[in-house]
Amino acid sequence: MKKVLVALLVLASVAAPIIAGGQQGSEPKGPVTISLWTKEGEADGALQWVEALAADFSAQHENITVEVLNKEVEALREDFQTAALAGTAPDLLWSVSDHAGPFTTAGLIQPVDDFVDTSKYVESVVMNGSTWAVPIASGNHLMLMANKKYVSELPATTDEFIEVAKSLTKDDMYGLAYNLGEAFWLAPWLGGFDGSVFAADGVTPTLDTPAMLNTLKFLRSLKFDYGVTPTESDYAVADTLFKEGKAAMIINGDWSIGGYKEALGDDLLIGRLPKVSSTGKYPAPYTSGVYFFVPADLPAEKESAVKMFIEYVTSEKVQTEMLEKLSRLPGLRSALSSPVIENDPLMKGSVAQMEVGTPMPTVLEMRAVWDAINPELSAVMAGSETPEEAVKKMQEAAVNGIANLK
Amino acid sequence: MNSQVVLTALGQVSGTVFWMLVGFLLIEVSIWAVGNKVLKNKNTLVAMLVTPAFVGLGLLLVFPLLYEVVLAFSNMNLYHFRNPEFSLLNGLENFKRVFTKPVLQTTTFFPVLLRTFLWTSQVLIHASVGMLLAMLLNRPNLKFKNIYRAILILPWAMPQVISALTWRSEFNFEYGFPNILLNKIGLPGIQWKADALWNFIAMVLTNVWLGIPFMMVISLGGLQSISDEFYEAADMDGASGWTKFQKITLPLMKPVLAPSVMLGIIWTFNNFNIPYFINEMKLESSEILVTALFRAAFNFSQYGFSAAFALIIFALLFSMTLIYVKWTGALKGVTD
Repeated sequence: MKKVLVALLVLASVAAPIIAGGQQGSEPKGPVTISLWTKEGEADGALQWVEALAADFSAQHENITVEVLNKEVEALREDFQTAALAGTAPDLLWSVSDHAGPFTTAGLIQPVDDFVDTSKYVESVVMNGSTWAVPIASGNHLMLMANKKYVSELPATTDEFIEVAKSLTKDDMYGLAYNLGEAFWLAPWLGGFDGSVFAADGVTPTLDTPAMLNTLKFLRSLKFDYGVTPTESDYAVADTLFKEGKAAMIINGDWSIGGYKEALGDDLLIGRLPKVSSTGKYPAPYTSGVYFFVPADLPAEKESAVKMFIEYVTSEKVQTEMLEKLSRLPGLRSALSSPVIENDPLMKGSVAQMEVGTPMPTVLEMRAVWDAINPELSAVMAGSETPEEAVKKMQEAAVNGIANLK
Repeated sequence: MNSQVVLTALGQVSGTVFWMLVGFLLIEVSIWAVGNKVLKNKNTLVAMLVTPAFVGLGLLLVFPLLYEVVLAFSNMNLYHFRNPEFSLLNGLENFKRVFTKPVLQTTTFFPVLLRTFLWTSQVLIHASVGMLLAMLLNRPNLKFKNIYRAILILPWAMPQVISALTWRSEFNFEYGFPNILLNKIGLPGIQWKADALWNFIAMVLTNVWLGIPFMMVISLGGLQSISDEFYEAADMDGASGWTKFQKITLPLMKPVLAPSVMLGIIWTFNNFNIPYFINEMKLESSEILVTALFRAAFNFSQYGFSAAFALIIFALLFSMTLIYVKWTGALKGVTD
């Protein structure tokens, strides 16, 4: 018994430094491991691309290993908050701009002004005079896409849009499919009806407005008056219908272009959402993009490695590669003038939509606004609530939600 | 999943696992050294065997519970994330808020509580239908008994999250089977996801489907343990089927049913997966206490408030259990 125990203890003392060293890599001059959390998933090949980038980068730099971990967007935010509190935060985040609100409020990320030359990039997340993120891709905006088999030219106004959709809706075919119950899909139209979720101060919700009322009435009419959308359609249903050719048009984001190109080939048409006939304004989808966030607790010895990896991913070569492979608009300004965009009608359509987009608010209050709109929008689209009731409830929920945050 | 992924994952946890093993080894060695060599106690082996469990429970249960109590007396949220303040006043404020202000965006505590009780009352359906099915399966001359039993047990054997997500897709307005069935018999489809009442019903339906097999298995075990002699004697006295059920089956099933109903109540009251996943549109009208708690904590990052909220739910459940145990004598066999 004694001998066994002694032997085990000896073994333990020998193995410990080896395992611990491999896991942490804390020596400044020795090997450094960067753990990267990304929101990119496998579906459109983005995660595979990120993993390939990490492998390439690790191969180029002997001492640096980049470990990639994929997390669903919301899980990434929740887990990062928990991990930061527990002192086990990752070294770099690859995520969406709306996380900037909670992360800066809680003091979990650091400004990147010292990390990169921010002027090289498109507009980023700027709060309290500092830049908090490095753009990887810009856009992330919704746009109108159509199947050329049914639609030869995208409608220019909502009146035309309704006519086209009506003429295409028959049997098991729908004129339009989109994620009916999700506030992100309501936002462009709110802009088109000359509204905004916040007042000029950027934090006071303005949901009980004529603009919101008109937006809800418009969306409601698409389903109830004109019957051009499926009765119930979440993201997956809309996506499948469009891919299977059972929806002539879809409103979806730039992240889906790659998948649709594969499914529809040359039949894919992309452009701006139609001008709202009653206001003469273009719908303004939220634009944000995908960003690097640098955790506040990043160990000093990893700083240079993280900096190098950011530089690598946002280099013109990699940014152009992303444009070609994933059809996402680059975050690096110089890559935006790439001939790839000029020569690709789909990318041109995406850029055209982005031009009339509006930056998505990144303040913490936005969280409460999303959660205030969603259930009421669903209720309106289910026909169980009138738009008039919905706007009142939305406003109340948003005000309560924001008060709860404090 | 390929072997590379498995190896990477193992590599990532190996350090932690290693240090855990070393830690336990040190604890065991010291107990052994002190107990066996110094105190010469013959119970040393017993102590060595139970220590890992005690340490594990302490770390995984006792510590989080204590931390939660501490957290309930803090103002921790995203604005006070790194340096929350702990004070009695903060605690009082948190507990007061649970009852006086909306726990989410518009719903207040008591409607959610009421809805949770309504939701929990479905255990009656689990128990009665489960019992009924068990009695059917327990008939001596039933053919293909094993096949029926296997089919009936299936919902229980499936991972809950998978069932919940599958059901959620089935509640789709156009492509789900409940609505297709309704359409076939000439009735309009139901908006299971967007309509407040029907969404709640959808949650209950799913959970009933999940809850019946457990009660059935337990009841079947209980029924099989009742000796036939009781029924034979009753037959000789000319007792009817209902009388036999009332006077023999039910009383003899009580020691089996009481604890399982108690478990059922606790599980249903605390069931997170079904209400969370079926409620795809995040309707506040479908939230029960635990899902509301989760959203308050992790969607709205109200850590201090949520800790207080959680303690209140804990107190509720604890007192409910106490009353139930007293009332039914569920633990009589254990304590006697």
